[in-house]
Amino acid sequence: MVDLSKFDVSARIGSLVLPYPTVGLSGCYGSGAEFAPYVDLSRLGAVVLKSVTRRPRMGNPTPRIVHTPAGMLNAIGLQNPGIDWYLRHDVAKFAQTPCATIGSVAGFSVDDYAYVCERLAARSEIAAIELNISCPNVAHEGETFACDPDLTARVVRAARATTDKPLIAKLSPNVTDIATIARSAVAAGADALAVVNTVRGMAIDIHQRKPRLGNITGGLSGAAIRPIALLAVYEVARAVSVPILGQGGIETASDALEFVLAGATAVGIGTANFADPRAPMTILDGIVAYMAQRNVRSLRDLVGAANTGFANINQFEGDEG
Amino acid sequence: MRRFSDNPESFFKIWRKSLPVALSSPISAVVPTRILDRSEVARDVILLGLEAPELVEKVRPGHFAMALLPGGQAAGVALGIYEARGERCSLLFFLAGDRTHRLGALRIGDRLDLVAPLGNGFDCEGAQRDIAIVAGGVGIASVLLPAQALLARGARVRLFYGARTAERLVEAERFAAEGCELLLATDDGSRGYNGVVTDLLAREDAAEAILACGPTPMLRAVSAYAQERNIPAQLSLEEAFGCGVGGCWGCVVPIVRTSAQAPSFPPSDADGSDVVHARVCVEGPVFLANELRW
Ligand SMILES: Cc1cc2nc3c(=O)[nH]c(=O)nc-3n(C[C@H](O)[C@H](O)[C@H](O)COP(=O)(O)O)c2cc1C
Ligand code: FES
Repeated sequence: MVDLSKFDVSARIGSLVLPYPTVGLSGCYGSGAEFAPYVDLSRLGAVVLKSVTRRPRMGNPTPRIVHTPAGMLNAIGLQNPGIDWYLRHDVAKFAQTPCATIGSVAGFSVDDYAYVCERLAARSEIAAIELNISCPNVAHEGETFACDPDLTARVVRAARATTDKPLIAKLSPNVTDIATIARSAVAAGADALAVVNTVRGMAIDIHQRKPRLGNITGGLSGAAIRPIALLAVYEVARAVSVPILGQGGIETASDALEFVLAGATAVGIGTANFADPRAPMTILDGIVAYMAQRNVRSLRDLVGAANTGFANINQFEGDEG
Repeated sequence: MRRFSDNPESFFKIWRKSLPVALSSPISAVVPTRILDRSEVARDVILLGLEAPELVEKVRPGHFAMALLPGGQAAGVALGIYEARGERCSLLFFLAGDRTHRLGALRIGDRLDLVAPLGNGFDCEGAQRDIAIVAGGVGIASVLLPAQALLARGARVRLFYGARTAERLVEAERFAAEGCELLLATDDGSRGYNGVVTDLLAREDAAEAILACGPTPMLRAVSAYAQERNIPAQLSLEEAFGCGVGGCWGCVVPIVRTSAQAPSFPPSDADGSDVVHARVCVEGPVFLANELRW
């Protein structure tokens, strides 16, 4: 075993410093408590909670999950009890979670985001707020925010006005130019960016001749989207200088290191938890082993290390050359 | 706050009502096991015996396991725990896709990690003495433990078991050897009643209680049958799983809010109804037929 104390693997997201760079992703790690019987949650950097909305939502009809090659489609539809109930019954329990709990806010209007963000961020159990402006599974409204630089800016600005806690905007890969969206979010006050949410997709049952998901379309996650997500992180890192929570198909330490080298300050693990709930801890161990082998004392030294040459070239060649 | 039903038909015991605690239940764990034996009990049907002494002590009828595929890279497979005795648990499954084929490729001596035991299983403590167990296809894997528990309590257990063909009626003799009365049905008439198992169920004398596991259309038919006759029925549901431990809300089924198994959720904005989505992996997989709204 490598002695963790000799290596600095902490990750800063705005004013929040996570002891480890590994984060359990929204909708994939419950509130952490569901996984407590299987892992030591104090070895997780943070857990991003399931997204919460202004009003309660039943979510989509089933099937909500379809396993596909190297990943899965999901269309949960933001099932949640709504912010009132959540604050009254659920949030207090997060104080017992042995790692930081990051609240996730979803909505259908700029006002929704501001309202839920303000109320959630006011709670001491919540270390930071992630704005899920990129959910592909709620008809049209959910994802339009992260697909439009102006709407992204309006949501982030409205949320920013309600709290000083670290604010993370979660971007969608389903856009033509993610760098523009990233710049817009940062200009509006985002402290960090989560890159990226799921890729839109679908599957059809040829025997029944109908879509496999109750919602017809869904979000693809897992290894299948890893190269797409990695490129998104790379492009966002070139465009802005705030911390990036890289995610999309990370299963192993070497996957995680790719994201760090592309510019991610921290890494999120979602679908891989369904293959093994211990995935975030195995990945952390692998990252530290890599650092030990190569005598890297601080993970920060690796962030964007694969990116620097490219950034310099850009100064001469202009941006999208 | 949460309301609990005083359902007179319910023969679930009170322990179910502590469901929220089950979230952090210390009984479930990552259990390292080793393959003791492997047999292909019929074409494309695998029985894996596992060395798992600590699991045997914890497993209750109707519990399931998430089998973590060696090498990961795909979600674990949720499987009913078939047998649990002495040092050995077993899993019985059909080779149906990529993930079950990977499980089926395991050999004697290989390691297999399970997240187990999971879920709220069948309640076999009721006062009823004449029980019908209805199983369809791979559903047979979840009903041996309840059959054994009921037989041990001195109940009469009839197994209504349906499959496509005689060859697919795997393990039927095993149930007979345990003491179940067999009532078999096949779609092609190659063994037993020629037709669906629920039609066979309707032709026989009614039982005092029903336990069922199988494909959704079969469970719906069992549910309709049971409710027409006011027979309490426990159904073990099938649904696509993500995490298997309550963290993703991928596996839900609509149930009445007054159910003891309803998760603590406020009335839905969408329909203001008395229905909530419960997780099959945590609140279930076994539900009362009369509480489902599917
Ligand atoms: C079952 C499931 C539920 C999800 N729910 C949410 C959610 O509520 N809010 C959110 O922002 N992202 C949600 N996501 C997206 C993940 O947080 C993550 O961004 C995405 O899955 C990519 O990472 P991965 O490939 O490691 O899973 C969900 C993903 C899955 C698979
Ligand atoms: S499979 Fe994740 S909540 Fe049931």
